[in-house]
Amino acid sequence: MRFSAVTAPDRTVPVARGAFLLDSLRASHLTAVGAGTLLAALLVVSVAVAVTLGPADIRVGDVWRSIASHLGLGVSPLSALRDGIVWELRLPRVLTAAAVGAGLALSGAVMQALTRNALADPYLLGLSSGASLGAVAVVLLGLGVLLPVAAFAGAMAALLATLALARAAGALTPARTVLAGVAVSSLAGAVTSLVIFWTATGDSYREILGWLLGSLAGARWPAVAIAAGAVLVVGIPLVLVARLLDAFAFGDTSAAALGVPVEAVRWTLLGATALLTGALVSVSGSIGFVGLVLPHAIRLLTGPGHRRLLPLSALAGAVFLVWADTAARTLFDPRELPVGVVTAILGAPVFALLLVRRRSRS
Amino acid sequence: MTALRADRVRASAGGRLVVDGVDVTAAPGTVTAVIGPNGAGKSTLLRTLAAVDRPDDGTVRYGADDAFALRRRERARLAALVEQDATTELDLTVADTVALGRLPHEGLWGGDAAERSGIVGASLQAVGMTAFADRRVTTLSGGERQRVLLAKALAQRTPLLLLDEPTNHLDIAAQLTTLGLLRRLAAAGTTIVAALHDLGLAIAYADAVVVLAAGRVVAAGPTRETLTPALLRAVYGVDAVLLEHPGTGRPVLALDLPGD
Amino acid sequence: MPFRRSVLLALPVASAALLAGCASGPAAGSPTPSASAAAETVTVDNCGTEVAFEAAPERVVTIKSTSTEMLLALGVGDRIVGTAFQDGPLPDDLADDGAGLTSIADKLPSEEAVLGLEPDLVYAGWESAFAADAAGERDELASLGVASYVSPAACKEPGYQPEKLTWDDVFAEITEVGDIFRVPDAAAELVDEQEAEVAAIEPDDRGLTALWYSSGTETPYVGAGIGNPQLLLDTIGLDNIAGDVEDTWTSIGWESVVAADPDVIVLVDASWNSAQKKRDLLAADPALSGLTAVQNERYLVVPFAASEAGVRSADAAADLAAQLAELDLP
Repeated sequence: MRFSAVTAPDRTVPVARGAFLLDSLRASHLTAVGAGTLLAALLVVSVAVAVTLGPADIRVGDVWRSIASHLGLGVSPLSALRDGIVWELRLPRVLTAAAVGAGLALSGAVMQALTRNALADPYLLGLSSGASLGAVAVVLLGLGVLLPVAAFAGAMAALLATLALARAAGALTPARTVLAGVAVSSLAGAVTSLVIFWTATGDSYREILGWLLGSLAGARWPAVAIAAGAVLVVGIPLVLVARLLDAFAFGDTSAAALGVPVEAVRWTLLGATALLTGALVSVSGSIGFVGLVLPHAIRLLTGPGHRRLLPLSALAGAVFLVWADTAARTLFDPRELPVGVVTAILGAPVFALLLVRRRSRS
Repeated sequence: MTALRADRVRASAGGRLVVDGVDVTAAPGTVTAVIGPNGAGKSTLLRTLAAVDRPDDGTVRYGADDAFALRRRERARLAALVEQDATTELDLTVADTVALGRLPHEGLWGGDAAERSGIVGASLQAVGMTAFADRRVTTLSGGERQRVLLAKALAQRTPLLLLDEPTNHLDIAAQLTTLGLLRRLAAAGTTIVAALHDLGLAIAYADAVVVLAAGRVVAAGPTRETLTPALLRAVYGVDAVLLEHPGTGRPVLALDLPGD
Repeated sequence: MPFRRSVLLALPVASAALLAGCASGPAAGSPTPSASAAAETVTVDNCGTEVAFEAAPERVVTIKSTSTEMLLALGVGDRIVGTAFQDGPLPDDLADDGAGLTSIADKLPSEEAVLGLEPDLVYAGWESAFAADAAGERDELASLGVASYVSPAACKEPGYQPEKLTWDDVFAEITEVGDIFRVPDAAAELVDEQEAEVAAIEPDDRGLTALWYSSGTETPYVGAGIGNPQLLLDTIGLDNIAGDVEDTWTSIGWESVVAADPDVIVLVDASWNSAQKKRDLLAADPALSGLTAVQNERYLVVPFAASEAGVRSADAAADLAAQLAELDLP
């Protein structure tokens, strides 16, 4: 009963069975709604505060009035140049961070359910490496393809390669899928290195480093459109079908016995995840640990039901990445860190902690 | 009231033919035990009967319907499967797990929460796990988990119930309770097919048996007429004597290795 | 003249011996760069590695433009058996002398490619050229009888990296290489020439600020406070907006650039990242196009090969000063 204390402290004394169960379902539902409201409020506050932080010294009120002026309210108190700092540099970057964080957390949670592997995320199955390869190929080889399209193609190709390899080795088990993902990921990484090795000139490898470690420094309004668009177009349907993911909890057979078209759902949802990952990687490069750590943290708070987990993970991912990127651009002002370095530094210990907790429980 | 009928089912597992031309008929209101030595093909047969895996050949009918022609959700409203040793990595609560059984009825958008919690509660009570509703399934013992998965199948409220070794991991009292529950469900009209490796339980609780060996039906029919000492010697290589329980009158099986 | 040099050299080395004593081991001894007679051994402490030249090198592989141009400027270009990783075309005054040079690699050469030329010296503009996956580790080259030398301005070791690059540091390399190749007179002449050229530059006194924009699109890579860009900006009288960062080059966020709104932008012109490409990027970006320097097109251009400390630094400074003088400023 250790966890009842975390989820609903008032549920330890069963009265009449029916009433008790009803209460428990309501209580957990309310908890989820409460957590959702809290996280949404936290996200709004985070965005509002993050845009006021940066190397340029601009007063908090002026930042908000500048944004309001672009939304048709009043006149910006700032010079055109400083107004540009707020409206063209900070705000799109903060919003992109929120959208990318939400999308990565969502992708991670979905992949963990589909592969029944708590350690799965777009990185583990090679999607991010594939997307990076697609993007790097466009940047360096000058292929005449849009960056997000190339990144999506790379993510999808990596996913297909991973699944084909896993299947060639036998039935599509979680363990085989993950091992195949590692193989594909290594290959995509090696090919990316090859492309860089042959084409990078002078110090252009710095740009590539930004890709590999993840950076939101280049995020302008088009990036907001791509990342937020992908989260809305792909993420919202994912949240709506979340209940299907619950059915996968006890494996494919169990899902099939509950009437879930297992193969169709798996392919559709993995494809959707590849689409989402590709779009995100095309604006931010490979940012690690968001997809891995946040769904875990949310599971600890509200349990693993996906109707709660997916929207809450998305909100938490958004808040997390907004602050990680704010740290990346302000901590060593005027220098910038790749945000992937910040997420790894914050995420790896949290993840290790989760692993240890998991072990000590089972 | 839905009968189950499978004809000439051939099914493979891992690329190997493990069920080779099997017929099964199970009438509403009866418990049919599928028995046979390890590797006889019991699990694969049950997955096919639950229409989870399409067989290489043969048909499975739920009443008059071809099970594989039904829409998936309709099928899941007719037949529920309790797998052997199904595990999860997710920290679902017991109540969440049992609520999964409502998916075929509610769809993606969720149904009446009060109806769901009522059915979840009743299903948990039926398997004696009410007090565990808020526990995480990953913290349960094997036997507790087995009973929760049975409750999940009960929450599906299907006329057909297929179980793969439902007494696995259960202590002896829980085994008898579970089989007693199956008998009560049968009495209410459910068609039950269960793979059992415990011959004693099969003889005591099943109306009919299907005896499998190496993927083929060796014998099938009413339990007492089918499970003869000669058959048990042929299939399992053991000497068997059927006794009668002095109190309840239920059949009791006494087993020995030959020559003892 | 050689005696004056030895004093100048001894200063950084002495502090290095204190700071990096155990790391540099036996190399931390006192150097004896007395090259008055060609027969005497010239020993230098180069980025913490002691290198002894019993005679002037005859077969040299140069890596990066600065090393190639140094030898051409000292009139010993005929000792070069191969070049690698050249940053761009040679300046006009060296182009004829260097016309016959053979390039062995567009980027860092492999150790085998280098050894195949049987050099007695590998002279690199970057310390990173001496790695196992490049021209080879310095120790290993030494054991094969191949000397190695890095432009001292590019040393990264604490105590060897110039705390803040000065013209003395730039000229010291000319003198030291002159000693190694036994052409001290040519070196002295070159130093005198460049000292005069630098002295003739009149620093701008309008208190202008500048960004030294090397490369990068998302996060610009810019000249910071202690390297060649800072030296050149100081010399022509521009205040580097990234001058507070204690590094030779650094990545800074665009927001810092916009907040500082420099009066002038120095664009590094490389074949792979032209000045024009950077102008286009600045003009197209919604936030950067508002910069004063962008709106008024106040750009100075420096060739990539001249952006690192070397024999082109003095010319580059004079050229930038001339460009600055021509800029239309209020």
